[in-house]
Amino acid sequence: MKFLDTLFERQTRQLAQRSSRRGMLKSLGGLLVGGAAVPLLPVARASAAESAQRPQEEGDETACEYWRYCAIDGFLCSCCGGSANTCPPGTEMSPITWIGTCRNPVDGRNYVISYNDCCGKSVCGACLCQRDEGDRPPYRSDKTNDVNWCLGTSSAAYHCSTAVVVGVAFEDQ
Amino acid sequence: MKSIRNSVVRAISATLLLGGGWAMGADDLPPPLPIEPTGIIESLPAKYPERWFLVHDAAFFGMSDGKVYVIDAAAETLGAQVKGLFNVVLMGNILQSAQRSEIYAMETFHERGTRGKRTDVLTIWDQATLSPKGEVVWPKPIRFMGMPQQYAMLVLNDNRWLAVANFSPATSVTLVDLDKQEIINEIATPGCVFTYPNGPMGFNSLCADGRFLSTELKADGSVKKQVRTEPFFDSDNTPIHERTTVIGDTAYFPSLAGLVHPVDVSGPVAKVGKAWHLVPENERGEKWLPGGLDLIDSDDLGRFYVLMHPDGSNDSYQGGGSEIWVYDPTKKQRVGRIPLKAWGLALGVSRGKEPWVMVTNPTDMSMEVYDGLTGEFIRTITGFGQATPLTLHGAR
Repeated sequence: MKFLDTLFERQTRQLAQRSSRRGMLKSLGGLLVGGAAVPLLPVARASAAESAQRPQEEGDETACEYWRYCAIDGFLCSCCGGSANTCPPGTEMSPITWIGTCRNPVDGRNYVISYNDCCGKSVCGACLCQRDEGDRPPYRSDKTNDVNWCLGTSSAAYHCSTAVVVGVAFEDQ
Repeated sequence: MKSIRNSVVRAISATLLLGGGWAMGADDLPPPLPIEPTGIIESLPAKYPERWFLVHDAAFFGMSDGKVYVIDAAAETLGAQVKGLFNVVLMGNILQSAQRSEIYAMETFHERGTRGKRTDVLTIWDQATLSPKGEVVWPKPIRFMGMPQQYAMLVLNDNRWLAVANFSPATSVTLVDLDKQEIINEIATPGCVFTYPNGPMGFNSLCADGRFLSTELKADGSVKKQVRTEPFFDSDNTPIHERTTVIGDTAYFPSLAGLVHPVDVSGPVAKVGKAWHLVPENERGEKWLPGGLDLIDSDDLGRFYVLMHPDGSNDSYQGGGSEIWVYDPTKKQRVGRIPLKAWGLALGVSRGKEPWVMVTNPTDMSMEVYDGLTGEFIRTITGFGQATPLTLHGAR
């Protein structure tokens, strides 16, 4: 938390609250495409150039240790028929979430992660993962994982949790 | 139906006679058991004994099957320990009013299990029969739903009203008239959650910016005044636990860093006192910190109990502890340490002058019981069907 610009987090959260899931992903997709189109550094070798232009992450998204899950508390959707950023079939993704900030070990950047719950079926029951890094009690609603975030959905039944990258976090100046 | 039953009884009797014939003659047999009536349902005392507990099993792996077991911790056998249960569906919260002999449960139902129209409802359970004696349906499905909390509900106005926390995530409090079993008011608490005490006619809520929002009510349930106190913590850098225990007019809020904030909740506005350290100065190198889900409770002797763990950090605040530390808040001193046999995730304390402490062991989800005065281990209670007993309430 101390590395982060809290203002940026608030803006991200407001975006998440205002947007539909589809709209939010579309916007972020545009950002990612735009980012990928700009080479970060001039490089000599073609393979290195390709690598530098492609966002990278690694790890097992069904493992609790996966980098995106730093603040999570719930069942991993990647073990329930979904993935780290998609819901299992027949469920509904909550448009309102809590967020965490996790460091991608591959590129060394901190990312704002939105832990959208998938709702509408009973608890998945697989891959329970509680890491709580940066988590806060429910009085900090933007950073709490102790709330059932199946809010704004047609069903309050909690099924599993995703970990969607919604932005790069800036460091405190 | 009756003739079938008589035939069965005759057949069983004959079998018993033949089977037992080798040991004694028919004349030596004791009289047969009397025919028993069916349809008898047990009931419980209107006032629960001191060492009974309400064990809230939130059923984390099957949230629609949440329930609260009524457990007699003083009994030695499982059959005698389990007194009954009532359901609390979909991560609900409960609160007991001994004065009214009622237990309140906020529940959520969908018409078709996990789908269909959602209804949030306050169920009023009769303490003696464990049957619902009333319901209040929420006009909007907005009640707070999450890990169970002790202060998501509050009785006030001499047990005539119940205040219930909402989170949609807009925050508010719904006020219920318990005599009429109807909603009086919904009071917005922007940026602030839960229903901590605030005198006889109000409640306090805890805010994201480190303040209390103190709400004072008029006799008709409308808002008389709402006051935001000065900030006393920083939710980023010096956060506190939202869990507290109230002794007399003082609520004690542990911080994640190991301080405790005393708060005068006699009303009409919360008054935050000077924080003091839970860990003696010469032990702070071991990094003991308060941690757990329901990590703090108090007894009728004016002492409070906190789950503590060594080598703590800001991120370990929900993890539980290896010991329970007991404090005399009037002296701001630790007066006891109870090393747990295993690990503790949540605790509850019984009432009376000889309090017992019940602790959830998260490794096997059993409950351990300790003597609150001596720290002596008394017994383990388990095997009654519990899945995730995350909140323990000493029966009032």
